[in-house]
Amino acid sequence: MSANDIALRLDDLCKSYGRIRAVDHLSLEVRAGEMAGFLGPNGAGKSTTLYMTTRLVHPSGGKIEIFGHDVWKNFKLAIQYVGSMLETPSFYEYLSARKNLELMGRLRGNVDGKEIGEILERTGLSERQNDKVATYSHGMKQRLGLGMALLCRPRLLVLDEPTNGMDPEGTREILSFLQERVKKDGLTIFISSHLLYEVEEYCDRVFVINNGRLISSGEVKEILAPYDNVVLVSFGGKPPDPTSLMKEEGIEHIESLPGEMFEITLANRDTVWLNKLLLSRGYKVSSIAPKRKTLKEFFLSITGRHDG
Amino acid sequence: MKLPYFGLVVVSILCVLIFVVTGASIDSETLNAWGYTCLSMQLVFTDIGLICIAVFASMLIAEETAFGTARAVLSSPVLRWEFYVAKVLTGLLYTVVITIVSLIISACLGAVNYQFGDVADSIGVIYAQKEVLVNFLLAFFLSWIPLAALVMYGIFISTIVKKSGQAVAVTIGTMYLIDFTKHIIGIDDYIFTKHIGFSWRIFHQVTQGIDYQWTPQIWNMIAMSLIYCLVMFVAGLVIFSKRDFNG
Repeated sequence: MSANDIALRLDDLCKSYGRIRAVDHLSLEVRAGEMAGFLGPNGAGKSTTLYMTTRLVHPSGGKIEIFGHDVWKNFKLAIQYVGSMLETPSFYEYLSARKNLELMGRLRGNVDGKEIGEILERTGLSERQNDKVATYSHGMKQRLGLGMALLCRPRLLVLDEPTNGMDPEGTREILSFLQERVKKDGLTIFISSHLLYEVEEYCDRVFVINNGRLISSGEVKEILAPYDNVVLVSFGGKPPDPTSLMKEEGIEHIESLPGEMFEITLANRDTVWLNKLLLSRGYKVSSIAPKRKTLKEFFLSITGRHDG
Repeated sequence: MKLPYFGLVVVSILCVLIFVVTGASIDSETLNAWGYTCLSMQLVFTDIGLICIAVFASMLIAEETAFGTARAVLSSPVLRWEFYVAKVLTGLLYTVVITIVSLIISACLGAVNYQFGDVADSIGVIYAQKEVLVNFLLAFFLSWIPLAALVMYGIFISTIVKKSGQAVAVTIGTMYLIDFTKHIIGIDDYIFTKHIGFSWRIFHQVTQGIDYQWTPQIWNMIAMSLIYCLVMFVAGLVIFSKRDFNG
């Protein structure tokens, strides 16, 4: 894989605050053209990692490369490809959205009025573009922050909880827009989020850190692959008594779920066998399908915590 | 955003107040327009003018840090030293502007009651107008040097104190604390604030028709102020470069 195929490489990255290791020998690679989720419990080191990526925080050790350019040795070369929105975006609140974008555009160079207009349109701020940012709601400021990150058509977006404080419709709109940019323009996105369903639905790959260390990573479709031996069954008529089914040799465990649905764990059997068994017992099966893993289950299983 | 304009308004009002209080009470035989302008500039930049400059300088970086806009700028292709130098230049430019505004207003008000002519006495001309003008301009431009040291000091404090209100308080507070105690602890000769107004004091002698001498004291003023400028600039830049901006 060439350097240009890797949008972001973190190599043995460390950050210590006194005795506290916020990031502990973290290494990961985000491929160009993918949307990668960055998960971890509170205090895991996600934000610190993202801050180091944009050189706002000095690492204690390790290396960060963006499209092959070392962020600390070739900052301007590296950062020209990067748009970022870290925590709550900041603006010159006495200026309008347009003025803020023009100002940041001048720092990045080669941003014309047309591009700014497009960004304002895409983020839904066209009508309020000349109003001072101080008058904006939280959601509008999040949109403007995203707009700023998209200035100069970056190749890599680093986002720390970009949909924080936005309504569900706005969240969906923004994430769909970003996903579209990934697919059409080959944009790479490295996104940290507490909302697992966002990562599950929109990301191609996920990295999970805890206590500053990478504890797991993988393609989302592999992580969320169906279980081999767990099926969800719903019944049309009277549901069976779980204790009677438990006597069957091929059934390891049965759990009742809301809505007259059962989760059945099979022992060396498949769904065809189960369907035949249930039908032979006279039960009306309205649906039978393998249970799919959720990102939440995956996350909890590896972190052993209930916050994220 | 309105703070720079507020400073300009304040010094302008002060210039007018000085005219109102002193202009009418001193006759043209005692004072000339050069002397009036010199007096006005000294009075403005003894307290209020200095405070305006110090407040502005001490907010330059602290405000951007507090509001998070420093983070937004530094995560774009702007190096830390570029950001810092831009702030230094902003502070210096503001100092130039505020002194020019004060000078113009003082000079215009001085021209109302007095003359910008030769400095003369009953016997004759002591200093010709051209010589006075040269010394006047010298005094004005040299006055910027210790003010530059003040700007660097304000920016240095602005770098180490993250909140703008606190940065202002620390800058003004330490300035006055040092001013009040420097004679007691014997560090007067080593503090750059001693030299603020020095060039106007020399020029004042010109306007009085008294013998004047720029050297050697002016070299002491320049050296002391530039040393402070350099030390504060380098210290502030190093601290700013090494700082983490993680909210």
